[in-house]
Amino acid sequence: MAVIKIQDLTYYYPETQKPALDKINLEIPGGQFILLVGGSGCGKSTLVRALAGLIPDFYGGTYGGKVYINDKEIRQLDRRSLVRQVGMVFQDPESQLVMTDVEQEVAFGLENLGLPNSLMKRRVMEVTGALALSGYLRSFTPELSGGQKQKVALASVLAMQPEILILDEPTSQLDPIAGEEILTMVRRLNEENGITVILVEQRLERCFHLADRVMVMENGRILCDDAPDVVARWAAKNKTPFIPPLARLFAGAGFPEVPLTVKQGREILKSYDPLPGLRMQNLKIKRAGSAGGKCLVDIQNLWFAYPNGKEALKNINLKIRSGDFTVILGENAAGKTTLLKNINGLLKPGRGQVKVLNQDTKKLSVEELASTVGYLSQDPNDYLFLPTVREELVFTLNNLGLPDDGIIEKMLKRLQLTSCAEVNPRDLSAGERQRVALASVLVVRPQVLLLDEPTRGLDYRLKAELGNILLQLQAEGTAVLVVTHDVEFAAEYAGNIILMAEGTIIASGSKYEMLTRSTFYSPQISKLFNNLAEDVVTLEQGSEILTRLMGLNEDRVNCG
Amino acid sequence: MLAYREKDNLIHKLHPLAAVAYISIIIILSLIFSHPVYLLGLLLAVGTVIIASGNFREWTPYLLISLGMITVIMLVNAVFVQAGSTVLFYGPRVPVLGKIRITLEAICFGIGMGIRLLVIVSAFCFYTYAVHPDKALKLFSKFGNKSVLAVTLSTRLFPLMIRDVRRITEVQRCRGVKLDTGSRWQRVKNRLPVINVLLLSSLERSLQLAESMQARGYGSGKRTCYTRDLWRPRDCLIFSAAVLSLLTGIWAVWQGWAGYTYYPRLESLQLNDLKMAAVIVLALTVPTVLSWGWKKWPLLKSKI
Repeated sequence: MAVIKIQDLTYYYPETQKPALDKINLEIPGGQFILLVGGSGCGKSTLVRALAGLIPDFYGGTYGGKVYINDKEIRQLDRRSLVRQVGMVFQDPESQLVMTDVEQEVAFGLENLGLPNSLMKRRVMEVTGALALSGYLRSFTPELSGGQKQKVALASVLAMQPEILILDEPTSQLDPIAGEEILTMVRRLNEENGITVILVEQRLERCFHLADRVMVMENGRILCDDAPDVVARWAAKNKTPFIPPLARLFAGAGFPEVPLTVKQGREILKSYDPLPGLRMQNLKIKRAGSAGGKCLVDIQNLWFAYPNGKEALKNINLKIRSGDFTVILGENAAGKTTLLKNINGLLKPGRGQVKVLNQDTKKLSVEELASTVGYLSQDPNDYLFLPTVREELVFTLNNLGLPDDGIIEKMLKRLQLTSCAEVNPRDLSAGERQRVALASVLVVRPQVLLLDEPTRGLDYRLKAELGNILLQLQAEGTAVLVVTHDVEFAAEYAGNIILMAEGTIIASGSKYEMLTRSTFYSPQISKLFNNLAEDVVTLEQGSEILTRLMGLNEDRVNCG
Repeated sequence: MLAYREKDNLIHKLHPLAAVAYISIIIILSLIFSHPVYLLGLLLAVGTVIIASGNFREWTPYLLISLGMITVIMLVNAVFVQAGSTVLFYGPRVPVLGKIRITLEAICFGIGMGIRLLVIVSAFCFYTYAVHPDKALKLFSKFGNKSVLAVTLSTRLFPLMIRDVRRITEVQRCRGVKLDTGSRWQRVKNRLPVINVLLLSSLERSLQLAESMQARGYGSGKRTCYTRDLWRPRDCLIFSAAVLSLLTGIWAVWQGWAGYTYYPRLESLQLNDLKMAAVIVLALTVPTVLSWGWKKWPLLKSKI
């Protein structure tokens, strides 16, 4: 029996002419794990909100068609019985927690259901135990880490014992380790408790293989709805980027089997092993040459401690040259963001020196450095407050006393923002907002561009767009320094990698040496070819090897 | 950030009703007493309880600020109030006030009122650092659920907004917004982008928060109230002692023992009037005594 049944669901947000959902028909049996993928604004979040009854109750708008939960039409259900059946965890942990401590937060939904105190105590005890939150019951929620906050949000929903659990990009604001932990918990809930899971997610390499069914959405419609391997082949054929890099690689190279995990991929390669030892075929890929441009930032023996005494940077030595594209990887609290803030002058070195264009940053204010060092922080919303996109760009120029010599039009065009130049930036999608924030930084033509977690919350297509913009800037001589947890992004676009831990630079070098010899900080492609071919990091390299491998195999079959 | 920090002592483990009743009674008594010895007794009681709760360090700035304010109250009262017959000092003649007379009575009245202020400030300090705000608010949730939730949400979102302000300020400075230079007006004007971004982001966040609350059934019917606080013998003892001190205080006021006449001449202190002060102080130091015993004797710990 289908737990969820959707018939001809169409929905328009208030004051819009384009449908956010366009005649959706769907059946989801109980206990399935559904992964919903698609680009920004494709209707994924709208669909799951319709399943949770938030559309149209919370958002208004025009609604047509029917949604059934356990054979009952959702609009006939009273809200209490609906929230007992469907629980939803949202994207940003900061924006969904209400109470000040963990225990009260978990009990919040139960209080809303009007449950007796004895039952609430039992549910709180059970769910906090299951999600390893027992030790944090009295903790003040704003002081928890992002991962813990998201676990609290999950616990608060699970305490209501829903049959259907909806998660709307629950890991997009988390670091990879915290994200992995949440996904592991969700998988366990599906496998052991039989909860139907509908997951909207962008980091497909972590969850594609967990799903029983993958649905690809575009323009409010479901384009493909099938098993993960079938969807992977369909996506490769239709040039849709919403499949993990590994599946895209195999499907793109025309392999009949499409692996969903690195393990499966290596098994496939072994079965295709045409010759004893693939390495003997000397499948080396040429390395990118080092830039060797003019030194823009020179960091010597940099030490930095926060006023509370915490030493965040210890003896950092680093040179950033024009045309460098460097990515800094590392755990949370490794000192990555602190290093960026020492370069743009927001923080001043405790000991040692940071020189930007041979000038000591201690003697320069942030405002003076702003025209040389551009800084894009994690949240583009922190930039946007003016009525139009164009005004946002003009604002930066005016602040720094720079004339508009046509740079505004150029930036709008380059970042594909010309069509929305007169639109309020707060009305734009996440990817567009980020491009506006980036344009407002680039409009002063900085020689050094610092980006802090720029891929957080972006889908594959938007990530690729951002990566290409950064490559263009690099080609023009801008030094690009990115702090990220996104190893796949670093592998595709960076030239050099810096690994940081506990305030020090642990290792640095070209991405070919750094990412292929690492256990944790290596992309799926490198893990796939580990011990089979050297220095394989990018999708293009992997594709080249697979194509050659298939050629060798065919030759062998023909000869045999 | 949240000032309250859970500490391992009896005071922090009290039922919120006992803690709130204790603090309320201290404040009520400080308002109905005017006798300096009674007020000093209250200060002694609340001071020992703060120390027993391990919050002496947190209390120190409150003390320093209050002492400053007491000095101001005392000086202002001495200068402006001409009542009192024991003149200590004649000042110059000033317009409106006439010739300044500093009297012993006016100074003492100022000190008395200062002690009252110190008791009230210390009681609030105790509430801030030793009583969990959520737990205390929960006591009133039956009477005003929505208002309690609004206060809880403010407590939860305040640290988040402070973090937002810091981050947005950094971002806007990187866009060339000068926050530390220029005239005072210019600096205020330059803060507008930060405030704008903060308001817009807070508005977006409030919508997301409302959505999350709706998805968890808020407003779907009558709510119940989750509580896991246990009422133990210690709460009973402290609550009873506080009520006893309130009743004794009212009795003392009724009899005129807790009142004091400052003007025109300081009333002499009668030992008989002060007996009730001793009873009140003893009753209000019950939490301190229990807390000390709780640490010293494991047997007492298990019994209360």
